[in-house]
Amino acid sequence: MEWVRILLSRCAALFRRHRLDEDLDDELRSHIELAVEENRARGMNEQEARTAALRAFGGLTQTKEIYRVQRGLPFLEQMGRDLRFGYRQLRRSPGFAITAILTLALGVGANTAVFSLINGLLLRPLPVPHAEELTLLQWSWSRDRGPNYSFSAPMFRALEKRHEVFQSVAGFSSNVFLVRSGSGNVEMPAALVSGQFFQAMETSPLLGRCLTPQDDQPGGGSTGFAVVISEGLWQAWFNRAPDVVGRRLYIANAPFTVVGVIPKHFNGADPTRRPDIYAPLWAEPVVNAPGSNIAEGYHMHWLRVIARRNPDVSLEQANAALRAATNPILDESIPDAKWIRDARSRHFQLAAEPGSNGYSYLRSAFVKPLVAVFSLCAAMLLLACLNLASLLMARSAARERELATRLAMGATRIRLIQQLMVESLLIALLGTAAGLITVPIVSRALAAFVLGNNRSATLDTALDLRAFAFVALTACVVIAAIGLIPALRATSKDLNEQIKSGSHAATARERRRLLPRILMGLEVGLALTLVVGAGLLATSLARLYHTGLGFDPKSVVNLGLNMGKQSLDGQPLVQWYQAYDDSLSRLPAVKSVSFAAFPPMSGSLWSGDLGITSSISVGGVYLNRVAPAYFKSMRIPLLSGRDFEWSDTPAASRKIVLSRTAAGRLFPAQSAIGQHVTMDNVSYEVIAVVGDIVYASIREGAHAEAYLPITQSEDHKPSYMAVVRLEGSPVGFAAAARSLAAKMAPEIPTPEIMTMSSDIDASISSERMMAMLAMFFAVCALLVTAIGLYGTLAYATARRTSEIGIRMAMGARRTEVVGLVFRENAWLVAGGSLAGLVVALLASQTLASFLYGTSVRDPWVMLASVLALGTVAGAASLIPAIRAARIDPMAALREE
Amino acid sequence: MGENKSDVLQGTLDLMVLKTLESMGPLHGYGIARRIEQVSGNTLALNQGTIYPALLRLEQRGWIKSEWGTSETNRRAKFYSLRRLGRKQLETETRNWERIAATMARFLAPSE
Repeated sequence: MEWVRILLSRCAALFRRHRLDEDLDDELRSHIELAVEENRARGMNEQEARTAALRAFGGLTQTKEIYRVQRGLPFLEQMGRDLRFGYRQLRRSPGFAITAILTLALGVGANTAVFSLINGLLLRPLPVPHAEELTLLQWSWSRDRGPNYSFSAPMFRALEKRHEVFQSVAGFSSNVFLVRSGSGNVEMPAALVSGQFFQAMETSPLLGRCLTPQDDQPGGGSTGFAVVISEGLWQAWFNRAPDVVGRRLYIANAPFTVVGVIPKHFNGADPTRRPDIYAPLWAEPVVNAPGSNIAEGYHMHWLRVIARRNPDVSLEQANAALRAATNPILDESIPDAKWIRDARSRHFQLAAEPGSNGYSYLRSAFVKPLVAVFSLCAAMLLLACLNLASLLMARSAARERELATRLAMGATRIRLIQQLMVESLLIALLGTAAGLITVPIVSRALAAFVLGNNRSATLDTALDLRAFAFVALTACVVIAAIGLIPALRATSKDLNEQIKSGSHAATARERRRLLPRILMGLEVGLALTLVVGAGLLATSLARLYHTGLGFDPKSVVNLGLNMGKQSLDGQPLVQWYQAYDDSLSRLPAVKSVSFAAFPPMSGSLWSGDLGITSSISVGGVYLNRVAPAYFKSMRIPLLSGRDFEWSDTPAASRKIVLSRTAAGRLFPAQSAIGQHVTMDNVSYEVIAVVGDIVYASIREGAHAEAYLPITQSEDHKPSYMAVVRLEGSPVGFAAAARSLAAKMAPEIPTPEIMTMSSDIDASISSERMMAMLAMFFAVCALLVTAIGLYGTLAYATARRTSEIGIRMAMGARRTEVVGLVFRENAWLVAGGSLAGLVVALLASQTLASFLYGTSVRDPWVMLASVLALGTVAGAASLIPAIRAARIDPMAALREE
Repeated sequence: MGENKSDVLQGTLDLMVLKTLESMGPLHGYGIARRIEQVSGNTLALNQGTIYPALLRLEQRGWIKSEWGTSETNRRAKFYSLRRLGRKQLETETRNWERIAATMARFLAPSE
């Protein structure tokens, strides 16, 4: 207890320093006066009395100093003084300070931004009570590839009934609902959830109630289907009206009753989605009309399953229970005995894994690029630290006499280290703070990159406690790295020895310069590694873009038409498409218009098997359903035959167009035109052969492709994308196309309009993100390394002024001096580059999976990187060398 | 300084100050210093200044308190007085000291 009282009193004293100082002065003055009075009374004269009083008192100043140390917190006060001193030091060399702070800000900012992404995607638990009890269910063919997280509705229903180890088992699926609003139908992010979903999530509603198993019945509960809405929708659509419960929402033209509002911190079990509406699973056929996943039964795998374990059940126990239940569940949910036999022979197995952070399909796709980018950022931060450590070391080397003198005069080593560390601390704190400011912007931009064309996905990159802990840890590492090594060195013993033995003892200096050289060499090596990595990624990206696409994406826009919920079908709908085609064609700047079910690189595709006879067939042909003029709009060359026409109705014979590769495989010896191919037992006549295009992804290259006409489709209410080639100014096109759609089909939601180029960019978003970041970091690394090389050499040369002066006085020519100084860095850069090249060769292997058409040992990239680094390093080293050669020998010698 | 004076033993100054305040009542720093000099019969090499850090230390521990007042010669001075906690501390310290002194005395007694 006593120490608390002392600490409090000392802390309080910190804030009243001036008052207390005056108080002490008064007290000591009164002491002396009392003593003088007494001495006078004993008969001394004024002068004698005062001298005697002061002698008896002892040192007045020492007393005050001891008193102050006893009174306040000397450590803190000293720290304050050191901070002010450090600040002045930094102010004196603003160039150094700005470089230091900016490079650190870059390192810390980039690391934190990427960490916040990783945090949002992989680490943050769902905001629900006892998230650790949540369990994600999966199944696998045990000897086959990895786990599968999609379940069919029958299998989920069989799982849902089992409560041996789970309190509740919930299925969910992200969806987009078509909701009727005042101004027509709008698309809205939504989720289909099973009856136990909110039970499993232990979510309490803001208003009304959550969905329950009673709501999740065929046809809904007693009053039809119920929905729960998000707080955001409640705010935007209902202006937070308390009577929202009981109101109707029309989803896919069917009535749903709002039964509750969910607070905004809860966003379902997928951290990358923000559903506004939650509807029961059994409403799926209604919202997905005219199709239905439920109707597809055990063939359609579309549900993710998350369960809450009983609190006393471990994950292992849950796994064991699932293993035991695998066979009964198969028997219960699959009506097809052959399928079950097949599944058993392939060791079909249910399993559980930790589910505290929910499920997102983005995870599997982005873990690797994110980890790669994270290591890039870490390398950048390491480089920044190496650079600062080298520069600080060079700076404190310039102060070595001062430090040695202070040591000799009795300053403790700890005290000097403390003072030097405070300066690094200041840089580290300022750099971290500057880096943190940029984090929200950078992480949002990165998230947009990662999400690419997943327009319905979001990623919460907010900085939470975990992110701040990461920043704090980073800052500590940085402080230790940039501060401790230089401080320890600057105050080391052999420095003292050196002063004694004369500051120019050559051997001692050579020894002392080894560590800074190693650090700078490491920095050069690291910079080269970064440059090589960036070079490889950039070359790969450039090759991706220069791959012939087979079509011309420039000036092409796609308009998504959602026709599933309007009233037209069959031929009348085809006629609607034709009419819309005509109206679009008449808009200014429109060159040609067509429709396609799956434009290239839109993220979805359709494939099938084409055959001539039962013996000759080509599997996995990419299929598309297109309207007339598609090849013209996309500028896909029509090699032979004729295009589809609106008159190719179902009454006419079935038509098909093959790509060159498909035609070559099916009809290697003859012309394909006029031949017949079969698919699913239907025969099609080949009417044309067109050029190959890149369909699924640039990475995949050309593939066998075939096209069917939309005029002969048997699908119900098919939705197509309008593919429009524009010419000249596209201004006003979007608005005109939308208003045409609204006029001609008032029930459909506003069409989404995307340019083809942005679709292509989005399809390789992680490659683009990595290449751009890597190039940015590589340029920064080169710059930082150049500054480091320049700075350290400049400091080192300044300390050799007198030596150089002597050399010149003895007849050394200026070119020799330039060579002398330049050589110091030349060796260092050569050594660092060699090491960096070795590391790059080893490390680039990890990039192999991200590279397209580029070898990880591409000699040109290696050569170009070494040249780039060499040029920058040479320029940075030449400046101090030339400056050294301008030294006036007489001035240099006089200075000594 | 005279050769025959001994330095003040570490920690004993606090005890002397506490004892002085107990027997004399509220007193200013100069008074305390003079009193210690007088009681010790000028055998101690005491810099009067060292009394002040000691007073601060005791005050921080809550053993004594201080307030400004006027001396008998009508001069403004800071007066220190013992608090309850200090009184208790004085008792313990005194007992401790007596024990140590007794032990030391036995130790140093001429062997028979």
